[in-house]
Amino acid sequence: MQSMKLQHGMERELCLSVCVIQLWMESATRKLQGDTRAASLLQLKGEGGGLVVLLHDAASRETRKRSSERPAHRGDRGIIIMSAIRKQLSFQILLLFISCRNINTKTLGATAPPLDPTAPLQKLERSYVLKGDSHTEKVELLNPVSLVLMCTWTGSQNKPTNITGFWSKDGKEIENSRVTVQLENKQYNLKRTFSIASEADLGSYSCDFGGEAKINFVLAVPQMGDERDKPIVSYLGDSVVVPCKLDDSKPTPNTWNWYRANETGKEQIIAGQKFSIKNDEKKTKLVIHDLTADDSGLYYCGAVYGVGITMGRVELKVISFFEPLKPFIAILVEVIILVAAILLYEKSRSKKDYTAAGNGATDQTNTLSSGENNGPEESSSMRQRKV
Amino acid sequence: MSPAPADPLEYKPLDGGWGWMVVIGAHISIGFAYATPKVLSIFFNEIQQDLGSSFSEIALISSIMLAAMYAGGPVSSAMVNRFGSRPIVMLGGLLCGVSMITASFGTSIIYLYFCIGVIGGCGLSLNLNASLIIISKYFLKRRPLANGLAMAGSPVFLCVLAPFNQYLLVNFGWRGSLLILGGLMLHCCVAGALMRPVPLPCKPPSYALEKTVEEQPNSGNTKLKKRFVKNAKKFLDFSLFKDRGFVIYLIGSIMFIFGAYAPIVFLSAYAKSQGVEEYSAAYLLSIMGFVDMFVRPGTGLIANSKLVRPRIQYFFSFALVFNGTCHLLCPLIKSYAFLVVYAVFFGIGFGMVFALIFECLMDLMGSQRFPRAVGLVTIIECFPMLLGPPAAGLLVDVYHDYKYLFLMCGSVILTGGLFLFVMNIYNYHMLDKERQKQVRASEVEMKLTPQAGTGQTEPEAKERNVALRDPENTETTD
Repeated sequence: MQSMKLQHGMERELCLSVCVIQLWMESATRKLQGDTRAASLLQLKGEGGGLVVLLHDAASRETRKRSSERPAHRGDRGIIIMSAIRKQLSFQILLLFISCRNINTKTLGATAPPLDPTAPLQKLERSYVLKGDSHTEKVELLNPVSLVLMCTWTGSQNKPTNITGFWSKDGKEIENSRVTVQLENKQYNLKRTFSIASEADLGSYSCDFGGEAKINFVLAVPQMGDERDKPIVSYLGDSVVVPCKLDDSKPTPNTWNWYRANETGKEQIIAGQKFSIKNDEKKTKLVIHDLTADDSGLYYCGAVYGVGITMGRVELKVISFFEPLKPFIAILVEVIILVAAILLYEKSRSKKDYTAAGNGATDQTNTLSSGENNGPEESSSMRQRKV
Repeated sequence: MSPAPADPLEYKPLDGGWGWMVVIGAHISIGFAYATPKVLSIFFNEIQQDLGSSFSEIALISSIMLAAMYAGGPVSSAMVNRFGSRPIVMLGGLLCGVSMITASFGTSIIYLYFCIGVIGGCGLSLNLNASLIIISKYFLKRRPLANGLAMAGSPVFLCVLAPFNQYLLVNFGWRGSLLILGGLMLHCCVAGALMRPVPLPCKPPSYALEKTVEEQPNSGNTKLKKRFVKNAKKFLDFSLFKDRGFVIYLIGSIMFIFGAYAPIVFLSAYAKSQGVEEYSAAYLLSIMGFVDMFVRPGTGLIANSKLVRPRIQYFFSFALVFNGTCHLLCPLIKSYAFLVVYAVFFGIGFGMVFALIFECLMDLMGSQRFPRAVGLVTIIECFPMLLGPPAAGLLVDVYHDYKYLFLMCGSVILTGGLFLFVMNIYNYHMLDKERQKQVRASEVEMKLTPQAGTGQTEPEAKERNVALRDPENTETTD
């Protein structure tokens, strides 16, 4: 019985250590990626849990094997159990590290989460009937699809029985896509299936009828609305909220990413002490604390859909508090000068009137005429000044 | 109480000269007072993001500022009566400047409520009332023109400050913009410096109460307190309600204010609902403001003419009726071109009413009672102003159609105008009767005692009556 207790104790300790390792892995991954890798976190938890279960199984198997052999001494049995369990543990830890490395490579990439290749792609069909020489059609895609594009052309003046049609992507002809198109019901038809699985597959697909007519299908993720062209201005040492919003008519993205523009392109921002990201379905906010002059520049928010990321950009300008202070002080000085000038002017006029009145104000009439002459007005106002 | 005032004006107002500088000062002062609560809304988006509050919480800043501006009327009038316009406008300018400057350091919404809303609103109320009062002191003959020019400050500053604020926001952020705006509002102090005090020849007996307060500073605190209380009661003067003309004016202006602001608030939303794009919808309001800028002085000029001046109350009711019909006709039009025409007519009507709204009160009350009257009117107008747009918004929410909003506003304003028109006819009729009674009574007295030379008095009704019968005499000076 005591050996069983010992065995249970060992198991518990091992489980604890695995749990500790698991927790450490969780916190590490959280620090690295923020909220956006919840999926892989679950994977890790699952694996960690799986490991614990494995360990449990292994330990119980070992103890059962050992107990069936009936070792001579209790201590011997304990040692044997420990060595077996140690073997298992090293094996499991090895497994753990391998899976950890696996997770690391998954998280640092700035691409959409990988698809499960075994699930069948959703089928989508798009078609267009062309009457003129060319047309562009926009196709908004959220998730990977198997897209069937159908082009129909009514033909030009002379309608040859056969013309060559081909498909091109982003201007470059797709290999082996040239076919001879026959005239059916006075129309030419071209049809092709494309597998759109990732962002690289998006772009402009065109069906070309013998160089005479062309229909472009532009495949893209839902675009952001008009981005604000005015920068957000904030101050050194302050904290600022950089928002990004998707139009209400667009579908909710899976998640949001934030990027900072640098010399080599975009660099993803990881939430931490300086940055915090708050996501809310169609809105996202990046909060930057303790602003420095280096924080000025372009920031990009990316709405992540299954098949790609749509970018919006916001510019941040960080200025020191002295910048608005300078015009303010200029205005303050100007106000003081104006007020002083007006009051001094008034005082000087009244002084003049005192002296003028002293020299004989009898000529000046009492009436304040509504004309523009200030003389009589000044004298009477002097005489009857209200303090 | 008939409008034959107990306190006749003992001096002849300037009607020119330095008076025009005072009009410039009043223009600046009134301009800031009316335009600031509206242009602050440009900053609200930024402030809302930084402080993390909802839009309705932010919009409350403007409402608090407007409410404080109107509610501070009686206090402002009392202070102006005591100290004169100049120190009050300078103090108001200082308060406004300080409010904006302190608000630029704000970190919470309550702090902004207090700084911008309360302190800013108080500063603006001091500005507004003091400017109106000093115009009534400086002008009599050209007063409608002076009023029109001074009130034109509101659309001018709105048109100037709105794009300027956008520029500031882009370059300095909302904190820097508030700081610079505070500096700009200090120009109200400059406006105050321009408002040279009006000379009073000698203290008429009506000022005896204040005079005794001034002359007996050491007479013991209790006596002083009693006098102050009496003063306070005197300046929230409910005895004004006994004046028929005042009550009629009050009812008419309440009805106007209730319906006046809602169409402005909802015009661009209505245009957008009719399919107009956002930029053009915002442009409608600028058209209205631009037209308003020119209509106000123009109306002042018309109101000053010999034909209209004696009948200015009727002109005021005409302006209200014009405004009301404009709103009533708005839901009938659907295209953008007609919306522009509506905006133009709305601007005309709005400008006309606002150019006349305080001139009519001055006309009714006379220069002596005007300070108390304007204080009372502004604090009472606070309620319809705060209730109007939300009530209209409620209508829009319930019926999901903007036309009921315009119908309601138009009908309220139209009714107000018609009420004013009818009641003014009745009022003048009664005044005529009372005047004739008085004349007969004084004729009897005259036979016993020599008539004291009254010189240039200011019984507005008398003038008007005389003018109605004999237009040439209004121009004669003594």
